[in-house]
Amino acid sequence: ILATLLGLPRMCAPPSMVNTEQRQHAEHIFLSFRKSKSPFAVCKHILGKCPSNKIASKHFSIMFSLLSPPSLQKYVREQILLAVAVIVKRGSLDKSINCKGIFHEVSQLISSGNPTVQTLACSILTALISEFSSSSKTSNIGLNMEFHGSCKRIFQEDNLRQIFVLTMEVLQEFSRRENLNAQMSSVFQRYLALANQSTQNVMLKPTETWREALLDTRVMDLFFTVHIKIREDSDMAQDSLQCLAQLASMHGPIFPDESAQVSYLAHLVEGLLSMINGIEIEDSEAVGISNIISNLISTFPRVILTALPSELFTSFINCLTLLTCSFGRSAALEEVLDKDDMVYMEAYDKLLESWLTLVQDDEHFPRGCFVQPAVQVFNSYIQCHLAAPDGTRNLTVNGVASHEEDEINELQEDDRELFSDQLASIGMLGRIAANHCIPLLTSLLEERVTRLHGQLQRTQQHLMNSSNPGSVDRKVLDDLYEDIHWLILVSGYLLADDPQGETPLIPAEVMEYSINHSTEVDINTTLQILGSPGEKASSIPGCNRTDSVIRLLSAVLRTSEVESRATRASLTELLSPQMGKDIVWFLKRWAKTYLLVDEKLYGQISIPLSTAFGADTEGAQWIVGYLLEKVINNLSVWSSEPELANDTVELLVCLVEKRERANIVVQCENWWNLAKQFASRSPPLDLLSSSVQRTLMKALVLGGFAHMDSDTKQQYWTEVLHPLQQRFLNLINQENFPQICQEESVKREIVATLEALCGIAEATQIDNVASLFSFLMDFLSSCIGLMEVYRNTPETINLIIEVFVEVAHKQICYLGESKSMKLYEVCLTLLQVYSKNNLGRKRADVAAEEDQYQDLLLIMELLTNLLSKEFIDFSDTDEVFRGQEQGSGAAGRSVSAADVVLFGVNIILPLMSQDLLKFPSLCNQYYKLITFICEIFPEKIPQLPEELFKSLMYSLELGMTSMSSEVSQLCLEALSPLAEQCAKTQEKDTPLFIATRHFLKLVFDMLVLQKHNTEITVAAGEALYTLVCLHQAEYQELVESLLATQRDAVIYQRLADAFNKLTASSTPPSMDRKQKVAFLKSLEEFVSNVGGLLCVK
Amino acid sequence: MMRQVYCAANSGSASRVKAQAKLGHVDRAWGCLTRRVPLIHRTMADTDLDFTTGESGASATIPMQCSALRKNGYVVLKGRPCKIVEMSTSKTGKHGHAKVNMVGIDIFTNKKYEDMCPSTHNMDVPHIKRNEFQLLNITDGFMSLMGDNGDVREDLRVPDSDLGKEIEQKFAASEDILVSVLSAMGEECAVAIKQMTGGK
Repeated sequence: ILATLLGLPRMCAPPSMVNTEQRQHAEHIFLSFRKSKSPFAVCKHILGKCPSNKIASKHFSIMFSLLSPPSLQKYVREQILLAVAVIVKRGSLDKSINCKGIFHEVSQLISSGNPTVQTLACSILTALISEFSSSSKTSNIGLNMEFHGSCKRIFQEDNLRQIFVLTMEVLQEFSRRENLNAQMSSVFQRYLALANQSTQNVMLKPTETWREALLDTRVMDLFFTVHIKIREDSDMAQDSLQCLAQLASMHGPIFPDESAQVSYLAHLVEGLLSMINGIEIEDSEAVGISNIISNLISTFPRVILTALPSELFTSFINCLTLLTCSFGRSAALEEVLDKDDMVYMEAYDKLLESWLTLVQDDEHFPRGCFVQPAVQVFNSYIQCHLAAPDGTRNLTVNGVASHEEDEINELQEDDRELFSDQLASIGMLGRIAANHCIPLLTSLLEERVTRLHGQLQRTQQHLMNSSNPGSVDRKVLDDLYEDIHWLILVSGYLLADDPQGETPLIPAEVMEYSINHSTEVDINTTLQILGSPGEKASSIPGCNRTDSVIRLLSAVLRTSEVESRATRASLTELLSPQMGKDIVWFLKRWAKTYLLVDEKLYGQISIPLSTAFGADTEGAQWIVGYLLEKVINNLSVWSSEPELANDTVELLVCLVEKRERANIVVQCENWWNLAKQFASRSPPLDLLSSSVQRTLMKALVLGGFAHMDSDTKQQYWTEVLHPLQQRFLNLINQENFPQICQEESVKREIVATLEALCGIAEATQIDNVASLFSFLMDFLSSCIGLMEVYRNTPETINLIIEVFVEVAHKQICYLGESKSMKLYEVCLTLLQVYSKNNLGRKRADVAAEEDQYQDLLLIMELLTNLLSKEFIDFSDTDEVFRGQEQGSGAAGRSVSAADVVLFGVNIILPLMSQDLLKFPSLCNQYYKLITFICEIFPEKIPQLPEELFKSLMYSLELGMTSMSSEVSQLCLEALSPLAEQCAKTQEKDTPLFIATRHFLKLVFDMLVLQKHNTEITVAAGEALYTLVCLHQAEYQELVESLLATQRDAVIYQRLADAFNKLTASSTPPSMDRKQKVAFLKSLEEFVSNVGGLLCVK
Repeated sequence: MMRQVYCAANSGSASRVKAQAKLGHVDRAWGCLTRRVPLIHRTMADTDLDFTTGESGASATIPMQCSALRKNGYVVLKGRPCKIVEMSTSKTGKHGHAKVNMVGIDIFTNKKYEDMCPSTHNMDVPHIKRNEFQLLNITDGFMSLMGDNGDVREDLRVPDSDLGKEIEQKFAASEDILVSVLSAMGEECAVAIKQMTGGK
C-alpha cells in the first residue's frame, strides 16, 4: 500500500521529473491495485490507519492534490478517479466512508477559483456518478448485484441532488464571467456534461424532493444564459441544449398542481422563444432545439398547453412554423450537398413528428388554429421538392443547380418508405388545410402532366428526325419525373392511409372538405373530367366546378394515361420506371380506400364521392376497367423492371382480394384476356420475374372466386387452371419424358408450373380452400414423380419442396382430419424420396453446400408448417369440405403428423452442424421445430435412435446456453414436456431421465447464478419446476452445495430462507398446475429477493 | 420399352457399340430397371406441345431476357456456363432503367464471373444436362459408364479432384456407384457420385 501511495505521486509528476520506466512501473502498481479482487482490504487498511472520517477524507484530499498537476495525462487521471469512486462505493458498504466529507472537499475545490482545481472537482463528480449509476457503467469489482443496486438507490436519494447543487454553483459562477478562454471553456464543458449526467433519464421524472432544486426559475434561466454564452462551441452547445431538452421533458410528482405546471411551461416557452428569436441558429443547434420542442409537445398534457396565455401560444406556434420551414429548406440543401451528417434532416423529422402529435389532438385546440401553419409548412415542403422555377429542388445556396446521377441499388428504399414519416406528417397537415392543399396539388400535377406530354411529343419528333437516339437530353424529362414523383407521393399520403389489415377509411378531413364544397360542384363535369384521362382537364368546359378530391385522382390518371400512350408509341425507353411505380402505388392506395366506398362506414358521405365511386355506379365500373387496362399494359411493357412489375401486380391483387371489387373485375373482358394470355405462357407475360408470375397467378385464382353464374365460373376455371393441369399432364405423361426432361424447354415448362402452383397456394382463403386443396393434391402426387426424374437437378428439387411448403403453410390450418391425413401422407412420401435420393450421394460442385442449406431450410419449414396445425386450426371437422367428404373419417388413418415430422427430423438432424446453425434463419427454424416436437410428441422422444436422441439433447443444451435469448427460451419451453414425459413413464435410468437430470443443473445455474434476461424467467421457471418434481433429491443436493459455499452467515441465512420459501408452497412438489403457478409466483419473489446476491459483478 | 441411342455431344459412337456388345448381359439386367419411372401414363396423345424432338440440332444455349433469369439458375458469362449465385438490380439515377448485376460461378472450373447488363437485354442461358451413369470400369484414367438406356460410353476421364480420387477408391473396393455427369456447351464432367442401393 505504501508502494502504491508512493507510486502515485511518481506517476502523477510532470514528465520531466520521472522517466518513462518509472511511470510505467507506477502505473502498473496502481492498475494492479485497482484490479485486485480485494481493494476493499486495501481500503480498510488505509481507513484502519485513519480511524476518523475526517482523516479519511484528508487522505482523499492528499490524493486529489496529487492529481491536480495539469500535465497529468487525462486518461491516467480518470482511471485514478474511477478507482477513488470504487473505494468510495466499497466504503459505503460498511459506512466507513461518508460521502459528505468528499462533497465538502469538492465544494472547497470548486470555490478555490482555480480552473484546474475546478476541473478536477468536476472529474471527481463525474467518476462518482458513473460508478454509482447504471449497472453497465459500474466497474467489475466482484460484488453481487444487490450491492450495486442498493448503492445506486442510496446515492440517488442522498447525493445526486447535492451534486446538482454543486454543479449549478459552478455554472452560475461561469455564466457571470465575460470572456471564456479555452481552458475555462473546457472546464465548463465538463460541468455541462455533468449537469447532463446528473439528470440522466431521457424523460425527466424527478421526485418531489427535487421540487426546490429544479422548479426554481433561476435554474432554467441559467441554462438559457449558459447556452447563449457557449453556443459557438458545437460540442458544448449540444450538451447545454440537451440539458434544456431534459428540462422540457419534466413531468411527474415534482409539480404540486396544474398551475405550477402551466407557469413552468410558460417560463420555458418564453425562454425558448426569446432564445430562438435572439440568435441565428447554428448547424449544431438544430437537432438540440428540435429535441426541446418535441419533448415539450409530447410531455405536457394538452390542457396545460392550451392554458398558456393565448398570445404566448400563438407566438410559439408561429415560431414552430417558421422553424419547421427553415429546417426543411436546410435539409433539402444538405441533400443536394450529399452531406454525411444530416443534422437538419434529423431536426426536420423531429419537428414534423411534433406537428403530427399536435394536429392529431386538433380538437383540444382553438378551431382552425393550425390551418395557416399547415399551409405554410405544406407549401415549403412542396417548394423544396419541386424544380425551379416553382421550387428550389437541387439548388445550392447561391442558386446553382446540381444534377448528379448516382448509381442506386435495389437495397436502397424507395422514397415512399424512406420518407414515410415525413410524408405522413405532410399528408396530415395537407388534410388540415385541405382547402388550400388539394387544389394546389391538382394544379401543379395537371400542369406538369401537360408539360410531360408536350416534352415527350417533342422528343419523339426529335428522334424521328435524328439518327442518333443518344442525343436526347433527359434533363428536362428527369426534372418533370422528379416533380411528378413527389406530387404523387404527397397526394397519396394526403388522400389515404395505409393501415395494415383493416379497411382504410376516407380521412374525415377529406370527406368533410368534399361535403362542404359539394353544393358548388357540377357532378357531370366532374365525371367527365374523371372519365377522360386522355384530355387536358382545363380544356373541358366548366372544369373549375369539379370536386377537388376527384380532380386530384383524375390528375394522377392523366399522368398514367400519358405514360401508357408513350409506351404504345414505343417511347418506353424515355419513361421513368420510378414514375410508373408511383402511379400504381397511388392507384392501389386510392382504390383500397375510395373504390366502392361503403356508405355504412361513414356518418356523412360526400355525394360526389359516392356518385363517382360507390357500389353499382358506372364510375366504379369504368375505373375498375381503366385500372385493369393499366395493369395489363404495365405487365407487358415493364417486364424488365422487377419493382414496377411487382407494384403493378400488387394493384391487381388489391382489385380482386375483396369480393365486391372482384365481382366487377371479372365482368371485364380484359380480365379474361389476361387470364388466357397468362395460361398460354407466351411473351410478354412469361418474361416476368418468377415472384411476379406467382403473384399474378394468385390474383387470377382469387378472381375466380368472385360472383359469377355457374356456367361462367366453369368457363373461367377452364381458362385459368385447366390449361395448367393439361400442359403439365401432357408433358409428364409423354413416353420419353425421362429422356427429354433435361431439355431446357421442358425444364422451363416444369419450373413455370411449379411457380404457378406456389401462386395458387398463396391464393388460399377459407372459402376457396376446398376446391384449391383438391386441385393442388393431384399435382403434389405428380411432384413426387418429378422428385425422381429430377433427382440430379438441385434447383428443381428445391422448387418442388417449396410447393409443398406453400401448400402446407396456407392450407393445413383449414383442413379437417382426413384431408390433413392426405397431406401428411404425401409429405412423408416426399421426404422418403428425398432421403433415398440423397443417401450416399456426394456432390463436388461449388453450389453443393448452398443447395443443401436451402433444402434443409425448406424441409424444416415444411415440418414446422405441418406441426402448426396443433396450434392454429380453423377446421371444423371438414366443414369447408361439406358435400365432398364420403364419411371415411379417421377409420383409414395411416399416417400421423408425428410420423412425418419424426421422419423429417431423421433426415435433418444428421445433416445439421454447428456451422449451419450460424445461419440465423436456419438456427431459428431448427429450434422452433425441435421445440414443437418436444411439446407435441414428447412420447416419441425416448423412442428415437440413440444417436438421434443424443444429438437432439445436445442441440437443446447448446441452444439453451449459447444462442440468442429467443432460442434459449424455445429450448427451455421444450424441457417441461420432456420432464413430464419421464414422470409419466416412471422409468428411471432411461437416457431421457438421465438427460433431464443434467438439464436440472443447467436450469438451476441459469436461474440462480447467472444474470439472465427477465424475459426467460417464466420459461426457465416452468422448466425448473417440472425438473425439480422429477429429481427432488438432486435438487436438494444442488441447494445444499450452493449454501455450503456461503461464508457470510447473514447471506447464508437469507439464502436458506429464500430457498425454503421457494418450495414451501409446493411441498412435496407434484406436477399439478396449481402448485406450478404457486411455484412460479414464489420464484418471482425469490429472484427479486436474492437474485442479486448470487450474481456477481 | 423403346430404346433410344444416347447421343452425347462429343462421344465417339464406335466405342459405344463395342462396349454395348461386350456388356450385353448387364444391358438386359438394366432393361427392367428402366421401368421404374412412375409417371408414364400414356393418355393424351393429341398434345399441342411437342417435346419429342430429342436434342439433335438443339443449340448449346438459348437467349432469355435478363429480368427473367433467376438466382440458382444458369447463364453464360464471359463465354462460360455459370450458375447464378447472386443477382441484384440497380439503376443510374432515380428515373433510370433497371440493370441486372450477376455473379456466376463456372460450373466446371468454379471460377467466379461478374456481369451487368440492362434488364431488357437478352443473355444466353446454357442447356444444362445432368445424367446418371453406372460406373462399370476404369481404364487408363477413363471411366466406362452405362446410362439408363444401356448404352455405354468410355470417353470421360476420372476428374482430377477429390471426387475423382473417391471414384477410384470406390471402384477399387468394388462398390457399385452411380456417377452424375454434368454437361453444358460441349463440355462434360463428373460432379457427383451416389452409392447404389440394392433395392433400385
